[in-house]
Amino acid sequence: MTDDVEAAPSAPAAARHLAPGDVGLVAPRDFAHAAPFAFRGGQVLPGFNLRYETYGELNAARDNAIVICHALSGDHHCAGWHSPADRKPGWWNNLIGPGKAVDTRRFFVVCANVLGGCQGSTGPSSPNPATGRPYGAAFPPVTIPDMVRAQRLLLDHLGVAAVHAVIGGSMGGMLALQFAIEYPQLVRRVLAMATTGRESAQAIAFNEVGRQAIMQDPAWNRGDYALGEGPRVGLAIARMMAHITYLSDASMDRKFGRRKRRAAEAEASAFDVQFEVEGYLRHQGQSFINRFDANTYLYITRALDQFDLEESAGSLESAFAPVQAETLIVGFTSDWLFPPEQNRALALALLRAGKRATYAELATDLGHDSFLLESEELYALVRGFLDRPGTPTP
Amino acid sequence: MEKRTVDMQIIGDWVEPGTRVLDLGCGQGDLLAYLMQTKGVAAVGVDLEFSRIAACVRRGVSAYQGDMTTLMRAFPERHFDRVICSRTVQELAEPKAVILEALRVGRALTVGFVNHGFWKNRVAMLLGGRKVRNEVYTTAWFESRPANPVTIADFEDFCAAHGIRVARRAHLAGNWRDPCPLLPNLLAGYALYDLTRA
Repeated sequence: MTDDVEAAPSAPAAARHLAPGDVGLVAPRDFAHAAPFAFRGGQVLPGFNLRYETYGELNAARDNAIVICHALSGDHHCAGWHSPADRKPGWWNNLIGPGKAVDTRRFFVVCANVLGGCQGSTGPSSPNPATGRPYGAAFPPVTIPDMVRAQRLLLDHLGVAAVHAVIGGSMGGMLALQFAIEYPQLVRRVLAMATTGRESAQAIAFNEVGRQAIMQDPAWNRGDYALGEGPRVGLAIARMMAHITYLSDASMDRKFGRRKRRAAEAEASAFDVQFEVEGYLRHQGQSFINRFDANTYLYITRALDQFDLEESAGSLESAFAPVQAETLIVGFTSDWLFPPEQNRALALALLRAGKRATYAELATDLGHDSFLLESEELYALVRGFLDRPGTPTP
Repeated sequence: MEKRTVDMQIIGDWVEPGTRVLDLGCGQGDLLAYLMQTKGVAAVGVDLEFSRIAACVRRGVSAYQGDMTTLMRAFPERHFDRVICSRTVQELAEPKAVILEALRVGRALTVGFVNHGFWKNRVAMLLGGRKVRNEVYTTAWFESRPANPVTIADFEDFCAAHGIRVARRAHLAGNWRDPCPLLPNLLAGYALYDLTRA
């Protein structure tokens, strides 16, 4: 997803974290799992760390947890502010907070950086105890089910007895579905947006171009590079390309059109930035390399490509057979990465499997990233799904 | 008793408890919520509008936003015990295709509609020279969706011609409450049919 979630511009910069409806200042924590963890592929880590954040309180029945699952480039910081000086709040701050659609006065919200990630959870950039250097390409191939099983261990550690809902968009939607398949007893609701049961050739193709950009950068060095170094050019290009797939023709046209940078005429080279959209993408690429690890990008895009509910169970219906959760799937009309059709297919398969499932579709022109949209319609839908009578009390 | 309540009750009477029901054009899920409460059905609705799906979600009714024929084509034969098409059939672009598809995915089909052959509707047109307006057709022509003014006689003919068995029929008088046993095409304001494949 993109990095475009901005705080409300009207709020004074100094006190944005104190705005009503915000969870305010938050701090990440670490869950260290000290026992061996076997990946689906058979490889074993001696243990792992998950970095996570929580907002709100776990109730006495320990059944008011809401698990937020992040997308490819997201992280555990989905709401609130790490410091009053932060430029931006957590990536889903518009959805999560006291009185918001995911109401932290009622729910205990948990969000963890995925296994294989690079924002504090164990991944390819973590030190390999065998060598003292980053795992790099020696890190086990990670899958969506691996990520989910690691997060289940975190929920056990936190004392969560039942998950009121798992919520995610894009890759987060895949995790949410996998949660319901893997832990039917645990999960009561699933809200998956802008997602798919398996990527189309087009989505795999985009991921492959990103991976090639990284791997063709000599600094990638077969995944062997020191912390803070690595294929910065390749990763930036991968990000620029992927970023386009999160938007839409209409939204890019509205945001940039053909507007040119003021200094464009005076530039020395014909191929320096001339159009605003070029400057924007370059900025996106540059800011990404300062916060993201190239090997994690390879591992997680591979996990996305490998995710295939149909193949894993023979059919989507069989994959969903164990599900007990009530499911809400939301597609967005302008999403051309995981288009409405793929979201619809999930809901139809759940219904064919005799599950309680709803499909809703929002007309937006913001592309794949529409799930991060500031939309009262979307908030009302989410609130209605989470707050129905019979939901746990705080 | 409300007009709406009577036809909901009849529809409900024809639903077996604990069965699987699909409502075509479910709106905000009023009927399905009622059937879930009174009959413990496993309910799914389908409607075109996001706001209606959101309303269904709020009350715990499963619903699919999209085209009803596309939805039905995604299901195997007799997946549903009953399909319901209440106050929707007159607005369908292809009513025949929808009815036949509903009889494929459902063991039974309930259809409920306003009888345009009802004498008041005929008189409204004949003497008043005006489009019929009532609780189902609330709006003027220029703010209404296209609608087929179907009559009981039309519907009976359609069923006979397509080998559709009418298991039960309920004709309601002009007040949409009392039974109307005589000359229904002239005297009934509202009609409900319980259909199966012959």
